Amino acid sequence: MIPISVKLAWREINSAWSRFLFLFLCIALGVGAIVAVDLFAVNVEQVILGDTRALLGGDVELSWRRAISDKSRSMLDSLTDRDIVLSHVTELAAMAMVNSPNSQTPLTKGASQLVELKAIDSAYPLYGRLVVEPDLQTAQLLDPLQSGCGGSPCFGALAQESLLIRLNLTVGSELRIGQASFLITAVLKKEPDRIANGFSLGPRVMISREALEATALVQTGSRIQERYRLSISDSTSLEPLMGELRGRLSQEGAQVSSFRDAQPRLRRFLDQLNLYLGLIGFTILLVGGIGVACTIQGFLTQKISIIATLKTLGADSSQIIRLYLTQSLFLGGIGSLLGAIVGIALHQVLPLLLQGIIPETMPMNPTAVPIIRGIVLGILATLAFSLWPLLAIRHVSPALVYRQAVDHSQAMDNTQSRLNRCRAILTHWLNDRAQVMVSISMMVGVTGLAMWQAHSLTLGLFFSGACAVAVLLLLGGTGILYRILRHVPIPQRYLLRHAVKNLQRPGNFTKAMTLAIGIGVMLMTTLTIVQRSLLDLIGNQIPSQAPSFFFIDIQPDQYPQFVRVLEKEFPDSPYDLVPVVRSRLTAINGQPINPEEHKGQRNGWYFTREYVLTTSRDLPKDNVLTQGQWWDHTKESDSDGATKTPSDFPLVSVEEDAAKNLGLTLGSILTLDIQGVPFVAKVSSLRQVDWSSFSINFFMIVEPGSFDGAPFTYIATTRVPPTLEVPLQQAMVAVMPNVTAINVGDVLENIGRIFRQLALGIQALALLCLVTGAVVMIAAISINRYRRLHELAIVKALGGSRRLLVFSLGVEFGIIGAFAGLVGLGLGCLLSWSLLYFFFDLTWTFDLVVLSTGLLLTILLTLMTGFLGTYRLLGFPPLSVLRQE
Amino acid sequence: MQLRAGSQSVKILQDISFEVFTNQVVAIVGPSGSGKSTLLGLLAGLDRPTEGSIRIHQTNITTLTETEMAHFRRKHIGYVFQAFHLIPTLTALENVALPLELQGISTGTSRAKALLQSVGLEHRLQHYPVQLSGGEQQRVALARAFIVQPPLLLADEPTGNLDSSTGAMVIDLLWELHQQHGSTLILVTHDMSLAARAQRILTLRDGTMVNETTHPLPSSGPEA
Repeated sequence: MIPISVKLAWREINSAWSRFLFLFLCIALGVGAIVAVDLFAVNVEQVILGDTRALLGGDVELSWRRAISDKSRSMLDSLTDRDIVLSHVTELAAMAMVNSPNSQTPLTKGASQLVELKAIDSAYPLYGRLVVEPDLQTAQLLDPLQSGCGGSPCFGALAQESLLIRLNLTVGSELRIGQASFLITAVLKKEPDRIANGFSLGPRVMISREALEATALVQTGSRIQERYRLSISDSTSLEPLMGELRGRLSQEGAQVSSFRDAQPRLRRFLDQLNLYLGLIGFTILLVGGIGVACTIQGFLTQKISIIATLKTLGADSSQIIRLYLTQSLFLGGIGSLLGAIVGIALHQVLPLLLQGIIPETMPMNPTAVPIIRGIVLGILATLAFSLWPLLAIRHVSPALVYRQAVDHSQAMDNTQSRLNRCRAILTHWLNDRAQVMVSISMMVGVTGLAMWQAHSLTLGLFFSGACAVAVLLLLGGTGILYRILRHVPIPQRYLLRHAVKNLQRPGNFTKAMTLAIGIGVMLMTTLTIVQRSLLDLIGNQIPSQAPSFFFIDIQPDQYPQFVRVLEKEFPDSPYDLVPVVRSRLTAINGQPINPEEHKGQRNGWYFTREYVLTTSRDLPKDNVLTQGQWWDHTKESDSDGATKTPSDFPLVSVEEDAAKNLGLTLGSILTLDIQGVPFVAKVSSLRQVDWSSFSINFFMIVEPGSFDGAPFTYIATTRVPPTLEVPLQQAMVAVMPNVTAINVGDVLENIGRIFRQLALGIQALALLCLVTGAVVMIAAISINRYRRLHELAIVKALGGSRRLLVFSLGVEFGIIGAFAGLVGLGLGCLLSWSLLYFFFDLTWTFDLVVLSTGLLLTILLTLMTGFLGTYRLLGFPPLSVLRQE
Repeated sequence: MQLRAGSQSVKILQDISFEVFTNQVVAIVGPSGSGKSTLLGLLAGLDRPTEGSIRIHQTNITTLTETEMAHFRRKHIGYVFQAFHLIPTLTALENVALPLELQGISTGTSRAKALLQSVGLEHRLQHYPVQLSGGEQQRVALARAFIVQPPLLLADEPTGNLDSSTGAMVIDLLWELHQQHGSTLILVTHDMSLAARAQRILTLRDGTMVNETTHPLPSSGPEA
C-alpha cells in the first residue's frame, strides 16, 4: 500500500514536469561534466597506461645516456644465458635531409628536418606490436637495399606520417641521415613504446642498428639514449632481478626500471589534467546547485497554500520537509541519470578536444564506477542545495489558509542603526538552531564532496574554501552594485523604472542569477588571461629574445668549419659556441648517490638527471653570484700576505636551486661520472640563473682547464632573421650531417600547440560552466513567469506596446549581465593575477580588449538568455491572462 | 490579537473572553472585517494570540510549540474552510484519509470510504477536486474534518462559496455529523438564519465581542 504522502509527492512532480526541466538540466550539466572527465581518465589510464609492458618495451629497462662500458656490456651478455631475451634500442635526435622527394611534387631536395631517430634490433618490440603501412615484416622493411637509392646502396626506414607531410614525401622517397642514405619503405602508424604524440622534437624515423652505425652519428660525447629492454620468463622473479641489476649497475650510470613503475611522469601529468578538469566539473555542479535551490524555492512558493493546509490538518514541519526533500532527491536522481547520459556522450568528444596530446582514435568505453560516482555526487549535491530553501517550510503559517499574508517579518524600526539591525538579524539567525545546523551541514557536505572529487583532503578543503571566498566576494560585489543602483536617481520612464525595481522586488532571484553567471565569467576570464599571457610568452617574448637555433653534437674538429659557415654565409648573425661535457652525479661529499632512492620524489630529478658541464672564464651574463666567489678571486692573499694555494680539487659553480635540492653548500665535494671516468670538484660559488633568457645556461660551471682531455662537444646558438632559418639549417646539415639543429621556433610552436590544445579542453569545460549559469538564469526567470505574465498583461491592457515591453526587459537583463560581467571579470582578474604571479612568475597586464569583450559578451549572453526565457510571455493576449484571476 | 503591517501594528481582536461547553454549537457572527476568521484560526491554533490564552480540554494551546500544536490539532480539531482547501493532486478518498496518515495510521481508507458514503459521495471516491462541484468538494472537506472524530469542529463560512440549496445541504450534513460524532461545533457565518440554529451566538464588531446570545436550550456537558 503506497502511503498517501508518496502519492502526493509523485503527483505533484507529475503535474509540473516542465517546471522541473531546468532543475534536471542544472544537475545534468554538472554530473555530465564530472562523468565525462572521470570516464576519460579511466579510459586513458586503461589504454595508454594499461599495457605497461608494451609501453616500457619490456619487463625491465636499463637505460644510459651514453654508450655503455665494457663492464656493462658483459653484464648484459650474461643475462642472455639466463633465459632472458634482450632488445637494444638507441634513440637520438638527428637531421634528416631530403635526397630525392616524391617525383610528383615540387622538388624539395636538400630540405632538412629534425627527427627523433630510433635504431632497433630484430627482437624489437618485445611486447606490443609495431603497426606500419604497408603491413610487411619489419626486418624486410629495414633491410639494406643494394641499389635502392638511385642505384646506390641504402637502408630501409620507417617514417612517421608527419615527416612525409612536412617534407612533402611519400613511401619511396629518399633521405640522408648522417653519412647514410635511406629509402622510406613504410609509414609508421603505431609505436608500442611511445605515448601518442605528446611533446617531441620531431617526427619519428625508425632504422636498423646496422644503419645507425652507417650514419656515423654516434660519437664520443654524442647526446644519445641507450635502452636495453629485457623480457623475462615466468620462472624468473622480477623483484630479485631488479635488485641484482641495480646492485651490479649502480656505478655504471644506468637507470633501471620495471613495467610496474613505468611512466611516472606521464601518470602525474594525466592525474593533474584529470584533477583540473574534474574540479571544473565540480564547479559546474555547484553552479547548477544554485539553480536547484532557486527551482525548489520557487516551487515551494507555489505550494504555500498546500503546505498551510497540511499544517492545518496536523502535519508538522518536519513531516512536510521530509515529503518535499524526498521529492527533491527524486528529481535530483533523474537529473543525475540524465547527466550520466550526457557525460557518456561528452566523454567521446574529449579526445577530439585534446587531439595531439592523446590519440584521437583512442576507444572510449563507458565503465560503471565513474557513472555511479557521478550519479551519487549529483544526488548529494541536490540534497545540499535543497535543504536551505526547504527550511522555509517551517515559517509557513497555517493561518495562511484564511489570511492572504501573515506578516511575521522582523520588521525593524528604521531609526535603528545599520549595525544594530545587522546584529539583530545575526542574532535571530544564530538562535535558529535548525538554520545553523543546515548551514553547517551544507558547508561540510560541499567540502566533503569536494574532497571526494579531488581525491585529497587538503585539496578538497582548499578548493571549497576558495569557492566560499569566491562566492562571498561575488555576492559582496553584487550587493555593492545593487546598492549603488538603489541610489541612482529613479528614471522618469515607467518601463525603465519598472525594470530597475523588478531587480529588487521581494522574491527576486537577481543575486542568484548574477552569482551563477558571474562564476562562469570568472572562470573564463581567468583561463583566457592566463592562456594569453603564456602564449604571449611562448609566441612573442621568448622568440624576441631567444636564439633561432641550438646546434648540438658539434665535434671539436668541426668547430672551425662551423664558424666558417656562419661567418661566411651569415656574417651578421651573432653566435655563441660553448664546449660541453655530459656527466652524471655519482656522489656528494663522498656519499654515493643511489638514483633509485630519489625516484618518485618531488625534486628527485636533481639526483638522477644528466648534468651538462661547461667551463667559463667569466660569469655568464644571465647569472648572478649569490654566494662564494668566481675563479679569479680564489688566489687572494691571506692575512699573512702569502698567496693561497689552489684548491685540491677543480672548482665548480652550482646554480642555487640545484644546490638547495642537492643539499650543497660552499666547499661541498661533488663526484661526477664523465663517460665512465670520475671527476671530482669542489663547490666554490652559487649562482642565480635567469632561465627565462633562453640563452645557454648551466646548472654546473667548472673552472677553465679542469677537464682538458675529457671527451667534449660544442653547443652553439645563433640568431638569424626568420627568412634565413631554412638556408642556415640546410647549410649546416649539408656540411655537418651529424650536427643536430634544433629550431627554437619549431619547439616553441610545438609547446604552444600542446598548450593551446590543453587550454581548449579546459576552456570547453569552463564554457559549460557559463552555459550552466545561463540555465540557472532561465530557471530563475521561469519561476516568476506567472507574476511577470500578469504584469505584462496589465501593462499591455493599459496601452504598453510590445516594443516598449521588450525595451524594459532588455534593460532588466542588461543590468544583470553588466553586473555579472563586472563582478566576474573583476574576480577573474584577481584570480589570474594570483596564478601568473605565484605559479608562473609572470607579470599580469591589463588587457582592455579581453575585458571589454568579456563584458559585452556577458551582457549579450544574459540578454539572449533572458529573452529566451520570456519571449513567449510577450505573445499572450492580456484578456486571457487577466480573466484567469 | 495584534498584527504588524510594516512598522505599524493593527489590533485585530481585543477583550475576547468566552467558554464553550462540550457538544455545544456556537455561532460567531459579525460584519466583514470584524475578526471572526481570525478568532476561529486562533481557536484552531493556526495562529498565536499576542496576549491571553486559549484552553481546549485543559490544554493551554498558546503555550504549545508549533510541532506540539500540529500534533494536538490532528487529534482534537477538525476544520472546514470556506474555500474547501482540498489537496488538488489527491483523490477524494485520499484527501479524506490524509489526516489519519499524518497520525501514522495507514489503514484509514475504509473509514474514509464510509465517511464519504455518509456524505453521499460513494461514487466519487477516485475523483480529483477539479472534477468535483463546489458542493461535492465541501462534502469531501466535511468528511476529512470528521475522520479523526475530533472533539472540536471549527467551520469557517462553510457555505460561503456555495449556492443556497447546496449550502443548505452541506449545513444539514454538518449538523448531522456533529450530532453523530458528538463534537463541539463552532462556526463562523454571516448568515443569521444559520446562526439561529446554534445554541449560542457570539457577535463580533471591530475585533471586540459586543453581544452574546444564548439559545433557550443550553449545553449540559463540561467545558470544551
